[in-house]
Amino acid sequence: MAPAENHEAAAVARPALSDYLRWSVDHKIIGVQYGVAAFLFFIVGGAMAMLIRLELWTPALDLMVSGSAYNSLFTMHGTIMIFLFIIPMWAAFGNFVVPLQLGAKDMAFPWLNAFAFWLIPPAAVVVLLGYFVNPAEAGWTAYPPLSTLFSGDGQTLWALGAHLLGISSIMGSINFIVTILNMRPPQMTLWRMPLLCWAVLATSIIAVMATPFLAGALTLLLLDRVAGTTFFDAAGGGDVLLWQNIFWFYSHPAVYIMVLPGMGVLSEVLSVHSRKPVFGYRMVGLSSMGIAFVGFTVWAHHMFTSLQPELRIPFMITTMIIAVPTGIKMFSWLGTIWGGKIRFTSAMLFALGFMSMFVIGGITGVMLAALPFDIHVHDTYFVVSHFHFVLFGGSVFAIYAALYHWFPKITGRMMNERLGKIHFLFTYFGFLFTFFPMHIVGMLGMPRRVAVYVPEFQLWNQVISFSAFVLGFSTFIVIYNVIRSYYRGPIAGANPWRALTLEWATTSPPPPTNFDDDPIPYEDPYGYGTEAAAVYLAVVERAFDGDSSGR
Amino acid sequence: MEDNRRNFPSISPAAVVVAAVFLLVSALGTYWFTTFVPLVLPAQASAESKSVDELFTILVIIGGVVFFLIQGMLLISVLFFRARGEERNDGPTYHGNPLLEIVWTIIPAMVVVFLAVISFNVWTQNSEPKAAVNHVNGEEIAIEVSGARYAWTHTYATGRLSPDGVPIVINSGDTLHTYIGQNVELILQTQDVIHSYWVPAMRVKQDLLPGNPATGGRPTEIRFTPVRVEGELYPATYPIVCAELCGDGHGRMRGTVVVHENESQFLEAFYEPAIYAILNPPADPVLRGEIEIQRYICNSCHTLDSLEWSSRTGPSLNGIADRAGERVAGQSAEEYIALSIWNSGAFRVPGYNEQMAAFGPDVMESANIMSPEQLYAIVAYLCTQGEQSDCDQENASSAIPEAIETVFGMQVDINFGQGDAAADSADEAGGESE
Repeated sequence: MAPAENHEAAAVARPALSDYLRWSVDHKIIGVQYGVAAFLFFIVGGAMAMLIRLELWTPALDLMVSGSAYNSLFTMHGTIMIFLFIIPMWAAFGNFVVPLQLGAKDMAFPWLNAFAFWLIPPAAVVVLLGYFVNPAEAGWTAYPPLSTLFSGDGQTLWALGAHLLGISSIMGSINFIVTILNMRPPQMTLWRMPLLCWAVLATSIIAVMATPFLAGALTLLLLDRVAGTTFFDAAGGGDVLLWQNIFWFYSHPAVYIMVLPGMGVLSEVLSVHSRKPVFGYRMVGLSSMGIAFVGFTVWAHHMFTSLQPELRIPFMITTMIIAVPTGIKMFSWLGTIWGGKIRFTSAMLFALGFMSMFVIGGITGVMLAALPFDIHVHDTYFVVSHFHFVLFGGSVFAIYAALYHWFPKITGRMMNERLGKIHFLFTYFGFLFTFFPMHIVGMLGMPRRVAVYVPEFQLWNQVISFSAFVLGFSTFIVIYNVIRSYYRGPIAGANPWRALTLEWATTSPPPPTNFDDDPIPYEDPYGYGTEAAAVYLAVVERAFDGDSSGR
Repeated sequence: MEDNRRNFPSISPAAVVVAAVFLLVSALGTYWFTTFVPLVLPAQASAESKSVDELFTILVIIGGVVFFLIQGMLLISVLFFRARGEERNDGPTYHGNPLLEIVWTIIPAMVVVFLAVISFNVWTQNSEPKAAVNHVNGEEIAIEVSGARYAWTHTYATGRLSPDGVPIVINSGDTLHTYIGQNVELILQTQDVIHSYWVPAMRVKQDLLPGNPATGGRPTEIRFTPVRVEGELYPATYPIVCAELCGDGHGRMRGTVVVHENESQFLEAFYEPAIYAILNPPADPVLRGEIEIQRYICNSCHTLDSLEWSSRTGPSLNGIADRAGERVAGQSAEEYIALSIWNSGAFRVPGYNEQMAAFGPDVMESANIMSPEQLYAIVAYLCTQGEQSDCDQENASSAIPEAIETVFGMQVDINFGQGDAAADSADEAGGESE
């Protein structure tokens, strides 16, 4: 174990803010770079969501100059949130936490890691530039022929930008796979690996396998747009369903790219903050792999209204099967907190919020898999609601849980818990009342992606918009909390949550090489409640913080 | 620290009470959820809607049980397993329970198999082709739906011929007429991008896929059978909605299904009058033009106050007759309007980028087929749209046919092929429906 350097609970030297603006191959710097960039895009995409909800306050088209302006707005909202916020945000936490959890000094390929990050700013410029020149308005799904024969140069830039982001994602994932498989300490077998690492491994395998299909689809789209080919143009012998098949072969697994790391975060946070081992550790780890595998067999449920009718049944069945590994995780988490000593920290609240909201997304997911019912609600607000329960109620809640959980490790300071709880309440209820009523308007007959709707849905839409503004406001609370805590938060110490995984067995923030020696992981990453664990935690505490009073 | 592995989970009387309350709340709550089912779905206007809604009710029951199970256990955990005060203890070191893990793998697997089986049954039942589709007057007719940005067009191939031997095709624009018990089967074809034909009250939806017009396009099908809705006044109307993003006007791409009470109502209120109107158009070309122009999808892009059109994708038709003569040097107003309709690429109004759909006597889209006589009537009608029309309105019956002959080389029958035979045939048709 590293020698104790800070006997006083004093601040550990941390990188200067200017270090974050430079090229760096340190995974911790890169992690923060990913995180801050992704959060900035979250604010941009969120502001767009606010404009969308403002437009939908009334049934008529009043805020936007045209339906097209509205279409390009939600196209950018979806593109930014998926490609520039959620996926890079998981690269942020993966980068910062995974090498530390493995006791490694850095990622396997530090230079590649930095390169993958620095592809994002130019890609973002290309995508956002497209918004200002004849913007893409075919939705983030970019179905031809709307995205080929009927849209302007912004669509070309959109495809180029998405291409770059795909390259970044592939490079980052290769790095994670190699790091996780090769850079564990000898004592850490796969079955002793923290579950976040399992989740990031599964996610990276999906990304490496699926993203090339996105690249293929985008290449064909670009060729159709600029080189006169007709892959998707029926008049030239092409097929519009070809795009849907290739696109969803990436984009359905991409849902798991966006949510599996969140599930990994949940396993960490729930176990640490309820002081109890993860229930059924192996099944939780394996279910990540199960989701990754089954996730590749379900893509055509996105095409239930366009696919040949006889092909719809097999995809209904595979889609329903994916509920099983997801259910395993949900029940295992319940088993984890059941009987525990739950600390209601902000991180824990967001983790519990994830479970409470994600289960609704899971239930509606099975409903949508049921083909005859899906036919009615396909492409309606029911679907909008479903995927926001998965990607906001799931991914974003998990991102917040991760932020509150690892902020002390990243900055060396604690976040303000009172503000964190206020943030949670605004987010939880703002989210619930924004997205739950969308199920109802969808079932009643409101399609998605419309700027105008029939007046009978106005009251519902006003409830949704009002709640969305509350949800939007909640973001300011966490921004304020992060900035304030960065400067004024209480000193965190090495292991404020008294956690057993290795990232807590070093200073906060860790030194550039992470650990002074090769760290030895505790035998069980979640072995809370034993005498041995208590001894281990006391050793860590003495080694880094010098006094034994916990927080 | 004591080893809690053996006595976990412990069963105390309090736990039994909590479990009992929990089960009661779950059961009542799930039942309560099902009471919302009719409130969050549109009227059940088709046979399909009943089986889909039954399936949805089963999904709500299973979903409700899962919902209460998980939220309930979360709530119990939050209430009973919180660390008190400054407590620093850890929870029990309980790593799992293989039996429990097998149970919560197998039971969900069985549930999804059950759901897959019942969904499959509902699907086969609803999507099966039916006998005797589109039954009208004892015959099966073809009903086609054309989707174009941003309007639906419904055409009925009646199977009858006009006295001149031309097939009579009813074009009912954005409205589908049907009646209770008719096995409706629509053939869908898009003219441009992907659209999706959705009738929420019927619980049916199908995408329209672009195909190569030269090889017959890529038709898709949609099937439903309207049923009586309690308390509904007939003819009842239900919206048709475009569910797939198709561009600027996606949100206003809507239509109406009119369900008549029975076949004779359908014939009397819609079918026979429509045929009669085709066989007996008004002699006045302007009046006929006002009817004809509304058969096509012009309203999906153009504004025209006289007909309450308000779309802005294409240029406004208000006062078109005042401008038509000045657009292209050497072209009369009649020639300009006729050219703009049949050869829409000939002239593009500055500021508008979209290519207008093709109309004419031999276009691929059956919904856009327009005879020289229909063109004549529509030009005559548009010539009246303006204060000081550039058209020669006093001699419309010669000026417009001359213009059509000049630009397209086609003869116009200014009597619209009307003869005694047509009138007789229409009387016959009217008689049948009574």
